Amino acid sequence: MNEKDNLMSIENYISDLKIRFPQITNVEVINVKRLMVHIPTSVLAQITGYWFNELNYRYIIVSAMDSKDGFELIYHYSDDSSGWIMSLNVMLAHNEPTVESMTPIVYGIEWIEREIMDILGIQFLNHPKPERFLLPENWPEGNYPYRRKIRKEDR
Amino acid sequence: MGIKENCFKKSLWVFHLSAGSCNNCDIEILDLLTPRYDVERFGMKLVGSIRHADVLLVTGIVTKKTKARVLEVYEQAPKPIIVIAVGTCPCTGGIFTSGYNFAGPLDKVIPVDAYIPGCPPKPEAMLAGIVKLLSQPPKSGNPRTTSEAQP
Amino acid sequence: MGKKTIVPIGPYHPLLEEPEFFKLYCDGETVVDMEWETGYNHRGIEKICESKTFEQVFYVVERICGICSTSHPFAYANAVESIGAVEIPVRAKLIRSIIGELERVHSHLLWVGLAGHFLGYNTVFMWAWKYREPVLDMFEIITGNRNSYAMFTIGGVRRDIDENKASQLIKVLEDVKIKTDLLVGAVMDDPVIHARLKGVGTLTAKDIHDFGAVGPTARASGVDIDVRRDDPYAAYDMVNWKVITVKEGDVFAKAEVRLLELYESISIINQCLQLLKKEKEGDIKAKVREIPAGIGIGHAEAPRGEVFHFVKSDGGNSPVRHKIRAPSYNCITTFRRSCIGGTISDAAIATAAVDPCYCCTERMIQVYDHNSGKRTMSAAELIKLSQQKTEELNKQFSAKDRS
Repeated sequence: MNEKDNLMSIENYISDLKIRFPQITNVEVINVKRLMVHIPTSVLAQITGYWFNELNYRYIIVSAMDSKDGFELIYHYSDDSSGWIMSLNVMLAHNEPTVESMTPIVYGIEWIEREIMDILGIQFLNHPKPERFLLPENWPEGNYPYRRKIRKEDR
Repeated sequence: MGIKENCFKKSLWVFHLSAGSCNNCDIEILDLLTPRYDVERFGMKLVGSIRHADVLLVTGIVTKKTKARVLEVYEQAPKPIIVIAVGTCPCTGGIFTSGYNFAGPLDKVIPVDAYIPGCPPKPEAMLAGIVKLLSQPPKSGNPRTTSEAQP
Repeated sequence: MGKKTIVPIGPYHPLLEEPEFFKLYCDGETVVDMEWETGYNHRGIEKICESKTFEQVFYVVERICGICSTSHPFAYANAVESIGAVEIPVRAKLIRSIIGELERVHSHLLWVGLAGHFLGYNTVFMWAWKYREPVLDMFEIITGNRNSYAMFTIGGVRRDIDENKASQLIKVLEDVKIKTDLLVGAVMDDPVIHARLKGVGTLTAKDIHDFGAVGPTARASGVDIDVRRDDPYAAYDMVNWKVITVKEGDVFAKAEVRLLELYESISIINQCLQLLKKEKEGDIKAKVREIPAGIGIGHAEAPRGEVFHFVKSDGGNSPVRHKIRAPSYNCITTFRRSCIGGTISDAAIATAAVDPCYCCTERMIQVYDHNSGKRTMSAAELIKLSQQKTEELNKQFSAKDRS
């Protein structure tokens, strides 16, 4: 498939995705073969199920970061037949960092969710084993190494 | 010569402890056993338990979670024991000093007899380090040389 | 039915070199559940990267893992260059692929050796590691170091491969190829190894999908994925090669995939060297002024599978967030499926089959057994069990030969 066909089919793909899930707030092609889909937390489980079970995308990892507007969770999946990396971007409020655990849908996601709990203090509801994962046993509670120390509103 | 010096005259049995390493030094240590370097001809041997060892090789930075375990291993070791820090990580911390999980260089945790820096040190460098350590007159205050002063 | 016993794998595996800690829950000989404890090897690399400049991050990610010390810079370079839309020179692409494949050769040889030891074939261990040495020498000639090569930089590579080095490399590869034939013969034609490894630690394609496992672990279960082909980077779309897949999913299949990949890697390097000869003139590094704000996602196929790097830049000179996913992170979780239901003597080789890299996963190291009072078994004993099983098979086979 050449570049142009590729772009055409991704446009079809995006419009199809938007029809299927009208809650999607924004879809952007961030780079060559990289797609980012911004969604509210309410449809996270649905789209994850659609991608993982129906389209057979391969689960890669979840990136989490503390950005200006909240905690960003980015679920990366790969469509190996075309080489595209599809990412789901969920924004969580700083004052209420909770989200549904995706472990019941994607088994492999268990570890990374526990890791994010450790490093950013995000709560995953219905996680099968919400225990400390990476940090030492005597690490102080409430100290999350990847949270930004100073936020804009604190200044 | 005291009994403690005598301990290290012949075959050294080595226990290798990875405190939080990147694998490089660990693989290079294993490499010493394979046909190119073959330290077993000098009687050196990797053992599976610290309780059998004369030498404790430590690789990698000491992380906050391993610190207690490193101390525990050191306590279980039969004294006298030679501790060697292999690689830049246990010597100084190297590139990882600014990490939040870094618990300090190895010599802040347990007494160290020799440092073999390098990332990773070549197998030849490791051999040279051990030879240097064994051929030097022992320092006073070192746990293995408390018996009597050397001329 | 006896009561459940807990067998910790760890305190410390004398041969896997990295510390790790698994708890196997056993009912008699059978493993019924397993658990792992992590965090020992966690060095906070992602955080350290955020305090370094884009150029410096290469040398940090190189030290995530000593064996995959090209794969991480490779994926990171792909990520950062995609933010800046940097087009790297052809010569640099070729050199990158050569280093990447050379690393695969040394890593797979290393694995074959370790697997041999687990089975009690120490000769294979000594052989494989002996034949690995010339490859490391080649690394020293080309890059200046046996491991941690520091070859990559934004926009290209830091050192060139000239005629002289290329011809030396070709000679070494010829030799490695002969030695690979030898190893393949030793593994594939040995009835004892067939009996010992077939049907052990089997993973189905569904298991692979559930856990997102990658690399040889996935390809041995018939899952046809390889980043080098699916999303080509560097020079992989300029050369001819094929992805090795095997259907069975057991430990033998994983060994088969790795051994056959050795041939592919050697062929890729040879083709790249040919192209390098044609592409005599040319830079090895593109000029890169600055990295604009944006998100870069890069992946590369390491010897163990896909390495994934996510880099966010705000237009400054260091990444705002750098997320790293090593292949073992997803592969280790599959132990839950591959070990459970098997016997303890198979656990060691089933875990080793994935070629787990705990440093990559940033996690584990030795643990001393705290739950004393329970019957435990050391790693050495575990390997011994594994070796004993091979020995028994060996006896059976020789008895059959005699009769």
